[in-house]
This record gives sequence, C-alpha cells and structure tokens, in this order.
Amino acid sequence: MKKLISLVLALVMLVAMAAVGGVAEGFADSYDITVWVPEEIKELTAQQIDTFNNTNQFGIKFNPTIEAVSEAVAADNMVNDVEAGGDIFCFPQDQFARLLRAKALDELTEVFAEKVAAENDANSIAAAKSGDVFYAYPLTSDNGYFMYYDKSVIPEEDIDSLEALIADCEAAQKYFAFELQTSSWYLASFFFGTGCVSEWVTDDDGTFVKVRDTFNSPEGLIAAKGIEKLVKSPFHLSSSKADSFESNAAIVVTGIWDYELAKQILGDNLGVADLPSFTVDGEEYHIGSFKGSKLMGVKPGNDVYRQAAMHFLAQYLTSEECQLQRFELKGWGPSNLADQELDAVKNHPGLAALKAQDPYSVPQGQIHGSWWGIAQVIADDIKLATDEAGLQAALDKYLDKINELFTLDNTALLFVGAWNGWNNADTSKTYYLAPKADGSYVLTLDVPESGYMGGRVVNPGSWDTDKGFAQVTEGADLIKDLGADNPDNNIVFAEPGNYTITWDGEAFTIVKN
Amino acid sequence: MSDVKVQKAMKQHMGLTASRRISNTAIYIVLTIMSVIWLIPFVCIVLQSFRVESTWQVGYVIPRQWGWDNYVNLAKTDFWRWYTNTFILAILTAALQTIIVLCMSYTLSRFRFKMRKPLMKLMLVLGLFPGMMTMIILYRVLADLGLTQKNSIPGLLLVYVASSGMGYYVSKGFFDTISKSLDEAARVDGANRFKVLVKIILPMSKPIVIYTVLTAFMGPWGDFVFARYISMGTSAGKNVAVGMYDWLSQDQIGKNYTMFCAGGVLVALPVTLLFLFLQRYYVEGVTNGAVKG
Repeated sequence: MKKLISLVLALVMLVAMAAVGGVAEGFADSYDITVWVPEEIKELTAQQIDTFNNTNQFGIKFNPTIEAVSEAVAADNMVNDVEAGGDIFCFPQDQFARLLRAKALDELTEVFAEKVAAENDANSIAAAKSGDVFYAYPLTSDNGYFMYYDKSVIPEEDIDSLEALIADCEAAQKYFAFELQTSSWYLASFFFGTGCVSEWVTDDDGTFVKVRDTFNSPEGLIAAKGIEKLVKSPFHLSSSKADSFESNAAIVVTGIWDYELAKQILGDNLGVADLPSFTVDGEEYHIGSFKGSKLMGVKPGNDVYRQAAMHFLAQYLTSEECQLQRFELKGWGPSNLADQELDAVKNHPGLAALKAQDPYSVPQGQIHGSWWGIAQVIADDIKLATDEAGLQAALDKYLDKINELFTLDNTALLFVGAWNGWNNADTSKTYYLAPKADGSYVLTLDVPESGYMGGRVVNPGSWDTDKGFAQVTEGADLIKDLGADNPDNNIVFAEPGNYTITWDGEAFTIVKN
Repeated sequence: MSDVKVQKAMKQHMGLTASRRISNTAIYIVLTIMSVIWLIPFVCIVLQSFRVESTWQVGYVIPRQWGWDNYVNLAKTDFWRWYTNTFILAILTAALQTIIVLCMSYTLSRFRFKMRKPLMKLMLVLGLFPGMMTMIILYRVLADLGLTQKNSIPGLLLVYVASSGMGYYVSKGFFDTISKSLDEAARVDGANRFKVLVKIILPMSKPIVIYTVLTAFMGPWGDFVFARYISMGTSAGKNVAVGMYDWLSQDQIGKNYTMFCAGGVLVALPVTLLFLFLQRYYVEGVTNGAVKG
C-alpha cells in the first residue's frame, strides 16, 4: 500500500510539473470527505480547505463536511468504528497508540514524512512516530501546563518557591489549585522534577512492549515529600480549571487552553509563570511537567489517489501558514519551527511560560492506558500518610500495580539462581535488578553456600541469558571464570556472601559487601 | 348533655387538634427542607442561564446582570437542530410505542392462545438482560443498514420502538382488572375486537394510556449513551443530550457553561409541562398497575 502511494505520488508530481491548470492526472474531479476538528476551529478549517482547493498545484478539489468533534472524542469514535470515522481528524498524542492499534491512522509516505520531520519541533515529531514510521501530522506543540496566578495576592518574588506560594495562599485564605489528586497528568510533575521517569515503549504496531518506571525510588520519595507539602495544606484545591479563580483560588496550574478565560476573569491581575521549585532536605527541585502535541491523522483507505489527496490536505492544514492562523485566532501554540520563531508567538505570555517550563518538562510519549488510573491515587495516599513510611508505602503500592500490569515484563532483569530456586517466573521483587533514575539497574542479594553458587540474568519467563559473565567488568575476581565450561554465560560466585550487582547499560559491576 | 361532658369533649377535641397540628408542622418542615434540597440544583441552573456578565462557572448563584443572551446564543449553535431531532424522536416513539404496548397488553389480557404463557415468560426473561449488552451488535446492524451518523434519528427510532412490546406488564395488569363481561356485552352488540379495545377498554384506561405515553416519551428524551454511540460525531444525527455534552469539554466549558444551563432549562421544559398537566393520571397509572396487576 505504502509503495503504491509512493508510486502514485511520484507520478502525480511529474505530471503536476507539466500540467498547466486543471486536475492532475489520476485524481477525481472532487472528493467528498469528512473532517473532524474541535468546535473552535471549525470555521477556520472550512476557510483553510477552501484556500487549499483554490491554490494546490494538483488541482485537487475537496467537498468537505466539517464536524465539530473534540480531540478526545474523535479518538474514541475512531476506535469504535474506523470505517464510519472522519477521513481527517485531530487527536491528542496520548491517543496515538490506541488509534494505531485500531488501524485508524494511515502511514505517511516518504515525501510527507520528510517534510514533517524537517518543519516541526523534535517533541511533536516523536509524538507522530511509532518506531521509525510517521502516522500523523503535528498540529500543535502546546499540550503542557504551567502556573496562572493572581498578581494581587501573590508577590512576584515568591513565584519560584512552592513553599512561599503555599504560605501566601494560606495567609490570604485563598486556594492553590493543582489537580494532583484526580489526574496523573498533573501528579507526575513532581516526580519528573526529581528525575524520575515512566517511559513506555511501543513496537511498530503500537503494542506496549516495555516500561521503565522509577517513581518508586529515593528520588520518588523526595517527590512524594514535595507533594505532601501541597496536598496537606488546607488551601490546596485539586482542580485544573481556570474558573477556580472565581471560587477563591489565587493560583491555578493548567494549560494554554485556559489562557483567554483566565485573562477574562483576572484581567490585568493575571500572572503566568513556569512552575515553582520545592525544597526537600536543603535541595531545590524545579517541578517538572508533561509536554505534548496535538496531531492530525488521515484514515486509511483503498483508493490511493484519494489517500494521496487527503495527505496533501492534511499536510497543508498543519503547515506553517495554517498553524499561524490557528495561533492568531485561537492562541494554539504551533509545532512548526518557523512559526515558533515569530515574535508574536514568542511574546505570547502563555506560550512564553510554557517555554520557560520546557527545560523541566518531559515529552509525553506513548503511555499505557492503565497508568493514568494507577498513578492517580498516589496523591490521595500521600495525603493520608502520617510519616515517611506512609509515603514509601504509597510508592510501593504504585509499583505493585505497575508490576501487575506487566508481571512478566520482558525488560525487567531477574537474577535467577540457587538463591531463588531457579524460578524464572519469580513475581516477588527480591531478585530483580531495580531500575534507578540514572538508568542503571541494581540488586543486592545474599548468595548462600551451595555446590553451584551461580545464576544468570534473564528476562522473566525466559531461560535465555540476557547478560552475564561476559559483561562483568569490575569485580571479576569475585566470580569464577569457567572458560568453555560456561556456555550459558552464567555468573558463578567464588564464595557465599552478600553482593551488590549493578548494570549500567553496558557492563556489570559486582561488589562484595 | 351536661356542661361537664361538653367541657370534657371540647378539651379532648382541642388536644387532638393540637397534637395533629404539631405533627403536621413537623412533617411540613421536613418536607420543606427536602424540597429545598431537591430544588436547589434546578434553581441554580435556571439562575445561571440568565447570567450574562460571564460565561464560565462562578462562585455565586444570583446573577449580577440578567439577560436572554444565553438563550439567544443557542440559535448560533446546532442546538435547535438537536432539539428538533430529540423532539421528533420522542413524539414518534411515544406514539408508536403506545400503540404497540396497548395492542400487546390487550392481546395478552383478552386472548387465549397456544404458547401465550411461555411467550410472556420469554419476554420477561429477555427484558432482564441489560440493554447495554446489545449496544455493540445493534450498532453494527444499524451501521450496515446505513442508519447511523447523519441517519441516526430513524436508526434510534427503530431501536427504541422495536422492543417496546415487551413492556406490556403494567398495562396488561390494568386491563386484567376490567371486567370481561364488558367485552362480551360489546361483542354481543356486534363490536369486533378492535372496536372493543378502542371504544370500551381504552376510555376506561386513561391513566394507563397516559402513563405509557409519558414513559415512552421520556426514554428518547433523556437517552445519551446509545444516541452518542450511533451519531459518531455527526452533528446532524445528535440528540440534544449528546450535542450539549460536547460543550462541557475542558477547552469549551469556560465559553459555554451558561449557554449549557440555558439549553438545560429548555430541555427540561416540555417534560416539566407534560408532568404538570398529566401528573394526576401518572400517579394513578403507576399505582393501579402495580397494585392490581
């Protein structure tokens, strides 16, 4: 299919160069298509398609039916019935994997992929790809959050410190709205701030194959302490709506979509800034955030010419020109690099705050749908916790739930051997190499005295040695070199004892404790 | 009657009145508190719909500026199209469903035919399955018939009406209480079965007819889940609940909240009016069917 479209495109381009007016060969006179866009850009999109009809070099004409369908609903509808779905539709990037699995996204051929890769920022490009293949066109690069505040309550000098902000809110008896208790999207900010990661990896079909999650770590505990400061304040409000300013809030953490509303409510008192920092044990941590994109997808189909025509349209609708129009009319933050350089875009206060938050933000890659529900309860548990053990318990519970999802996760490293009865389906956490925030994996274990004090590092459920003797660089003197007698690359300890094993991504370090 | 007796009787009388008065007062206080609690949300929605100084949710109830803007703005959206869709759907469903239910009930009440009991039992059992269960397959069938998206309204009508015969219990129960000798008398006088139903039974069953009409009207009026699934993002095929729901998305609610309230008031209006005028029959219908069935 992809090759066929490529062929058609090449042909069309040749013909187009020669054609003077009229429709390029192969294309029908006009195509009836359904376009799903959010309500607020419905009219603008109609105008843009009209412009495309009149200006495109191939003489392609569309007869569009434009329906107002919000991004999230569009994804739901497409998954329900791809056939009946819109031909071109907008969706938030977190729906990408789902849409891909439902086969609702048409692959971009090279011509389009190259243009997308050249013209958009790195995050939106990453969002539009699965593996190395492009399946969508970046529409915006503004799906993140930052802080809105009421200048009449919050002094300018306090906006960098979470503690100062909480104190200001408590003094003024006003709310600090940060949706930590009902939304993982906002909750994750504190964890990203301390360097934790939750990275989910999909294969080319959009199926989740791996997760690397370090929320349950010393860094995660620091984040939990930060969250504790806010959620235990009587003036914390778990909301992300700008209209909370009407209900006695002085600070609201939300995204660019609420800018106009916040402006209308607070007028000149509206201040925007990147998120503050919090202090734990004398160290300062800047609160992180998610950043993401909205994308435009084309539904797969059998008529190669029609598909090619729709790709031309989707490309136009996400071009520099159209993204700029959307910014000017509705304040949508462009993903297009040229647009991002314009003064008007740079000087937009909301987008500027988003930009200031950018160094601390984490691209919202593909995330397993269940994660949102699992992470959501952390803040509630933290609020109920009475001591540090309680905070740790909240994180342990989180990790257990993640493990339930991927019990035999094929990225986890399990050190099987005499110590766990050679159980490669071990679900207890004891003999797993635990992922750390810096990307390394660590395990401390007791090696009991036995005839064969060896074992191997495997992916759970498998007997194939993933890594072993050959990868040990430091501490080789602590293990036996069996030479040719070790075809399975096992690690065999010379003596019983307590060992710490670290995998840094390339080599093992073994230390005897 | 001696004076003593009269005084005694008067005392007793006063005591009774006093205690009744106290208990009545208590009951009225409780009822008033409850009705206030129940009415607050509705009053709020009505008040919000007249607020014109802002379009988002605010922390106070009484508008600072009153006006019709929100109602006027509805015309700028597809609201009236959705409203018409819903209204047509509700009226047609009410009419068709009532006819089917009444015929069904009359048949099951008056005719004796083979398999009558098993049929009734079968329908009872089928009715026990949750309707949601059939949603996906119904969607598939409707989609193949071309009755989804912009053709949702006929599609939904088909779904609402198709199984309505199964809701015969209440009216059959009511018909069973009407003496059969009335039917026989009419038959002797030369009326056919249809005439008996229309001229004899129905005039005597006003409460149950109205009850059937009302419940049939309410179903489509408030449907959301199935209507949303079938319309699949096509504005022309949405009913009012589905259409208005889209105004509540995170980036829309700030602009549309008060308009949403105005829409809500208009949606509540026909149902409220219907109930106000037909309330007497409705209560009778429910209790009749339930007690004597």
